[in-house]
Amino acid sequence: MRILIADDHPIVRHGLKQMLAADPSATIVGEATNGDEALALARKLEWDMAIFDFTMPGRSGLDLLGDMKKEFPGRPVLILSMHSEDVHGSRVLRGGAAGYITKDSAPQELATAVRKVANGGKYVSASLAEILASECSSDPQKALHEKLSDREYRVMWLLATGKQISEIAKEMGLSPSTVSTYRTRILRKLGLTSNAALVHYAVRHQLVG
Amino acid sequence: MNDVAHVPEVEAEPRAEEALEKAKILLVDDEPKSLFALQELLSQLGQNLMVAQSGEEALRLALKNDFAVILLDVRMPGIDGFETARLVRSRDRSKSTPIIFLTAAADEMTAMFRGYEVGAVDFLMKPVIPEVLKSKVAVFVELFRKSERLRESEDKLRRLAAHLISVREEERAHIAREIHDELGQVLTGIKMEVGQLAKRLTDPALLAKTDSMSKLIDSTVQTVRKIATGLRPEMLDDMGLIAAVAWQAKEFQKRTGIRCRAKLPPEVKFDIDISTAMFRIFQEILTNVARHSRATRVDIELTLGAEQVGLEVTDNGVGIQDDELTARKSLGLLGMQERALLFGGDVRITGTPGHGTRVSVTIPLSSRKPK
Repeated sequence: MRILIADDHPIVRHGLKQMLAADPSATIVGEATNGDEALALARKLEWDMAIFDFTMPGRSGLDLLGDMKKEFPGRPVLILSMHSEDVHGSRVLRGGAAGYITKDSAPQELATAVRKVANGGKYVSASLAEILASECSSDPQKALHEKLSDREYRVMWLLATGKQISEIAKEMGLSPSTVSTYRTRILRKLGLTSNAALVHYAVRHQLVG
Repeated sequence: MNDVAHVPEVEAEPRAEEALEKAKILLVDDEPKSLFALQELLSQLGQNLMVAQSGEEALRLALKNDFAVILLDVRMPGIDGFETARLVRSRDRSKSTPIIFLTAAADEMTAMFRGYEVGAVDFLMKPVIPEVLKSKVAVFVELFRKSERLRESEDKLRRLAAHLISVREEERAHIAREIHDELGQVLTGIKMEVGQLAKRLTDPALLAKTDSMSKLIDSTVQTVRKIATGLRPEMLDDMGLIAAVAWQAKEFQKRTGIRCRAKLPPEVKFDIDISTAMFRIFQEILTNVARHSRATRVDIELTLGAEQVGLEVTDNGVGIQDDELTARKSLGLLGMQERALLFGGDVRITGTPGHGTRVSVTIPLSSRKPK
């Protein structure tokens, strides 16, 4: 398998090469240090898959990906990025990349990604899969916390971040007994029974950060 | 991605300095003799004297020049002094130009009242007493110079503010890039090396070490990302304003528990400086919501037209009070105004007690500030 790599950082290219060296079927045929060079190499060389950094000097990111997909529609491009999945991940996949992997992923994960993409598959990390799943099921009416009123939602958030009833009362300019009433209503609406369960719910749905 | 903002030049304009040195004074009289006398008398002030022999001529000159004071003969054929004054004053540029009427002694008090009505600041009876005329005109020249200087220093301050804003933005972008790219990439490299190292190890104790090293690198990468994004979100440069606003709204909801609903146009990228200005204004609005509003909900609407980009943020909090809007210390609000003004835009804030605050921002897309 002939691989084209592009990254403006020598240290990352070095790491990539070392990692790919462990795979006897992989050969690096070209190394580019910026987007324009990457595109030029892609036109000149014979290659089967490309591993590109998302942010490079010159043409990069979605623009570069778009060019690659237009000129070499059949060949997979795996995007390597410093940015976490929730920022660019789904956009990059929608832009036609065969995979999106962050640079802080474990080396084994990168190896897996390369193998999968080389075999014509798509690589999606577990965390990106979760993001995509939540985007797909983004019918906002479905999530239980969307049924909370705005005020209930904020009380829920304050409870989930560990605030006491009295603190919440002060923060929102309500009486403590009103806040308690809200709490009861929130737990009922979310089908929960304790503050601990509420914290768990909020974390699982990424409502706190 | 490199040119985040253009730096406006902060320089005094030499031409303005010259104008400050010599104020323009307009003398209007239909009699060449009295005109000559006035000229002689006032030439001692060392200012730039201009003369007109009729109301029409005076109007023509007033169209093109800013006068420190106009000396106007009341009785002239054609347009008389009063009419000339009314016309001069009706134009925006010269609506507060001081006018001193010169009248023959025969003119009665009624004429004086008419004169004040059309904007006279003083009356002098002919024949004028040289010392009186000279000192009166000198006062207006001084006044003119002072307001010129004030206008200029206001302009300088505005340009300085603009300069500081863009320098800060540039610096933030630069630091964010350095931290994120350089530091981040080195960490990535180290992580890869540790991975290579781990492959050759068999001792469980050593493997536990490389494992914890790897985790430590991960959390450092997270920190690096957080710092860089705090300085300048990469979204803004990579994906544009609309994506960045969506991201910021989501972050805000996560961070404050205040529900955000955003109505956004399809994602497109446009002028990065205007995008940056709008984004920073948006951040400032959210900061204010979190700090002062006690809101539980924020509605955001971003509109992108051919001519302008508009942002409307409405919360359901306590509502900003008028005295808070005008309070001297509301520097944050002033900062938003300045940012918008830099691109010919506008920020309007209205609060209804108990019913929340609405901030509307518009920035024209066409009129980029000249470099």
